[in-house]
Amino acid sequence: MKVSDARVCVLRIEGTNCEEESYLSFKRLGAKPEKVHLKQLTGTDVTSDEKRSLADYQVLVLPGGFSSGDYVRAGAIFAARIKSRLSRDMVEFVRAGKPVLGICNGFQILVETGLLPAMSGIMTEVPEAVLSTNDSARFECRPTLLRKVNRGSCAFTTKIPRNKISAIPSAHAEGKLMFPVDRSKSIVKELADNDQLVFKYVNPEGELAGYPWCPNGSTENIAGICNREGNVFGLMPHPERVFFRYTHPDWTRNPEGAGDGKAVFESVLDYVSKKL
Amino acid sequence: MSSTRLYAPQDTPFELTEIKLSKASDDDLMEISRESGTGLSLDEMKRVRDHFDGMGRNPTDVELQSLGQAWSEHCCYKSSKMFLKEYIFGIDNRQVIDRGDAGVMEFDRDHAYALRIESHNHPSAVEPYGGAATGIGGIIRDVLCMGAQPIALVDPLFFGPLDYPFRKLPDGVKHPKYLLGGVVAGIRDYGNRVGIPTVSGGLWFDESYTGNCLVNVGCVGIAEKRNIRRNAVRGPGDVLILVGGRTGRDGIHGVTFASAVLTQDSEMESRGAVQLGDPIMKEPVMHAVLEANEKGLVNGMKDLGGGGLSCVVGEIALAGGCGAEVDLGKVPLKEEGLAPWEIWVSESQERMMLSVSPRNAERVFHIFKIWDVPATPVGKITREKRVRLHYGGTKVLDLELEFLTAGPEYCRPCNASAGGRRRKEKTPKAKTRYDKDLLKLLSDQNICSRDWVIRQYDHEVRANTVIKPLHGKIGHWTHGDAAVLKPVEESFRGLAIATASNPFAVAGDPYRGGKTCVDEVCRNIAAVGARPHSLTDCLNFGNPEKPDRLWQFREAVRGIGEVAKDLDLPIPSGNVSFYNESPKGSVLPTPVILGCGIVRDVRKCVTSDFKREGDPIFLVGETGQEMGASAYYRSAGGHSSKVPDVEITALQAGMDVIIKGIERGVIVACHDISDGGLAVASAEMCIGGDVGANLSLEKLGRLRSDVKLFSESNSRWLIEVRKGKEKQLPKDRRTKVVKLGRVGDSSLVIGSSRKLVDLEVEKLAKSFGSTLWRMVG
Repeated sequence: MKVSDARVCVLRIEGTNCEEESYLSFKRLGAKPEKVHLKQLTGTDVTSDEKRSLADYQVLVLPGGFSSGDYVRAGAIFAARIKSRLSRDMVEFVRAGKPVLGICNGFQILVETGLLPAMSGIMTEVPEAVLSTNDSARFECRPTLLRKVNRGSCAFTTKIPRNKISAIPSAHAEGKLMFPVDRSKSIVKELADNDQLVFKYVNPEGELAGYPWCPNGSTENIAGICNREGNVFGLMPHPERVFFRYTHPDWTRNPEGAGDGKAVFESVLDYVSKKL
Repeated sequence: MSSTRLYAPQDTPFELTEIKLSKASDDDLMEISRESGTGLSLDEMKRVRDHFDGMGRNPTDVELQSLGQAWSEHCCYKSSKMFLKEYIFGIDNRQVIDRGDAGVMEFDRDHAYALRIESHNHPSAVEPYGGAATGIGGIIRDVLCMGAQPIALVDPLFFGPLDYPFRKLPDGVKHPKYLLGGVVAGIRDYGNRVGIPTVSGGLWFDESYTGNCLVNVGCVGIAEKRNIRRNAVRGPGDVLILVGGRTGRDGIHGVTFASAVLTQDSEMESRGAVQLGDPIMKEPVMHAVLEANEKGLVNGMKDLGGGGLSCVVGEIALAGGCGAEVDLGKVPLKEEGLAPWEIWVSESQERMMLSVSPRNAERVFHIFKIWDVPATPVGKITREKRVRLHYGGTKVLDLELEFLTAGPEYCRPCNASAGGRRRKEKTPKAKTRYDKDLLKLLSDQNICSRDWVIRQYDHEVRANTVIKPLHGKIGHWTHGDAAVLKPVEESFRGLAIATASNPFAVAGDPYRGGKTCVDEVCRNIAAVGARPHSLTDCLNFGNPEKPDRLWQFREAVRGIGEVAKDLDLPIPSGNVSFYNESPKGSVLPTPVILGCGIVRDVRKCVTSDFKREGDPIFLVGETGQEMGASAYYRSAGGHSSKVPDVEITALQAGMDVIIKGIERGVIVACHDISDGGLAVASAEMCIGGDVGANLSLEKLGRLRSDVKLFSESNSRWLIEVRKGKEKQLPKDRRTKVVKLGRVGDSSLVIGSSRKLVDLEVEKLAKSFGSTLWRMVG
């Protein structure tokens, strides 16, 4: 389908707060994004004009923020609301090969719902991973460098060359991706074998490095992962904040070119135009 | 309440008391004032009594409480207003759109920006986390109720020294380290959750803040001009809709608490005056309020801050030339059993009042329903300028608005402290090398890197932050002077935001210190390439009933007003915070200025980090022998009463050179010279760029070396000019521009006739970067 026909659902509830910039990232590329409240999909409290169906969209975005304050555990409340009311719609959306993007809080929500890592099936009954409190025990707002390690499965990074280092900033308190400790190594290996690893935190030389290059202490510096099919993608850093070069942290030293985050949105719209 | 002689409980199913003012003696009046917690003075109590005598009845407790709120220093500026009128209010130009809860200024043809700064000092001193968080909440509502989307937060903070000995802490005073940790966490958890970037601020340390820390909070918002609203009702018939959080016992008497000196018992007595914040109520309140407003459903709105309902109802009605009738029983409560007066004055957070035409009310309710935010009609607007309040079918308050809102205005005695001996001038010994002094200054609590704080705040959410608070090569960072936002999607026009304060200079010479604060904020804004456009101020001072404290206030305001007027910079909003005293005395007189500037194209902005080896470095502005209040004298034990003055023409000329130089692409790095002088400024530029510099100060004339290195003379900048473009640097005879040297190598070398400083950049970075991490990390 044509990019200009691609409808993008930017889903929000109270405390979602990166919806505007996520919405604009798709709009600038000619797609048709819309900010949709969860209640519009579940049909609660809304008029018939306001009601929406997930099936009418080609892309689903879960933006960053602090949905419901992240009070139980980051993303847990939003995930529970999705699971209780929209499970079937979600599974069908993903099964149809439509792309789902979770940024920061959105990534936390995808893990809490079981849509990621989803090493078997589409949505697991219980979460298989967790985005735990940063090693520093603090909120960390800092520039981060990401090396693309995905070999081609991920629909959101096809326009980024393998091993390219992208400057995509982080801002979170709970971004340390962890797996059950006793099986962590084998799970990471399986993820790598399945080509589910997408981005890793690195230093300017491209090497896996400790704090502050890796802002949270994530397992093997993993910053973003996708499902086996590559159409569900979650990452802690914020590509929508570096759509343009002039919001890069060091842009005054190197003002030429596009922002490093733009390629994520171009990639997924390219996928939509070719596959849907 | 102690005696039936003064109080007559009414026969109502809820708590309501008649206060027997009519025959009360002076002593009785003061007892009533104290017991009610209103803090009204004897004269004010008499005025209340006479007013009710005229009506032939006594007031209810609800009425007395209402007057106590409205007439508090915090609400009616009774000690400061005459000075503000004289020096500040008159500065006006055509760019000013409104002066409401926040000031509103023109941004471009179709857009306006709103700005405001205020204090949340006393709550934060008692409960740092909640105090700071609710401070953010309050300032966001001030901007929101003008119809603007908040886009930036600003947090200047002042504490006692982090290494203050525990045993010296007075009773009831919390350690500065605890306060800093709590305040930063409060701002972080609230600001990050509501999704508004914290882009500017500051951190100051001085012993005088030990007993009374200062927590100021500022906010800037943006709106299409057609969506700007006044804090006023449209007319009789308007429905008053209370939206947001429920009302509870938190935040009772917040304004009276803010209008008295802190004591060792404040913790026990006033904990209940600190409100509880709920960012996840505020976040949807913002969405719903803006959506309802953009759909044209709101006639006017106002935030519930100090004084709660008791202040907002009267003010929003009177601003529209009307009165109001409110049913207190309709106000959604957190718990049962609140007395009417408690509901009326509670400062519970996350609440706003919307004035809506009846035909639009249902649509407003629907929008709030979707966001799960309570929205309740609590009253209606009436023609007569009175407020009438009912509870459970009983009338509990009936007051003329003119009387309620006509708080007293004082002309209190005001003069420089007598008796105080003039301190003798003391000049530190001249040295041959100043390496150690520079390292000491870089690691000084008042100068060192603030990254420990800044990185806990999300400064990029909304993805509009073009110039961020920290500048430099990836993996290295130094302080910037101003943040720049690009608030409108279709335009490259930018809004620069900077914060400045220099309490040391104001303490040394309040008039020159006030001027210095404005100079600094202008320097900061110009340093990124923006032209200063408007200011807002938060004036934190001691007890205004003491003549020397009020004199400091007047002089500082005079200085601020003078420079602002000469530069045609309106101050369309502001806040005064008096009574910042503890048993240890007053805080340093602390005016904080938040400045906004406009930049035509954000892609031209520059940062403070040195960019490229070989580029020449210039100094803009004149350096003088005026070391009073300088960081160097404070660190080296010197003293001078000569605080830097401001020469308006030199400031204007300097800004012209800087702004035009940046617009022409000639200047590639720029940093204003402030605390620690030229030496610290150049070190910071090296640290951000991870590159050295070689500077000669011979052209600065016949000054002592330490003055050349560390003078904090105003209206000065250090700039890096693109090699080969030196000739295109704008010239202006009213200021001095001299070439000092070049960017290069891995050390900062500064000489005059001989070498004064020679330090590896890595070493500078270590001194600059480690202090806060060591002390609080």
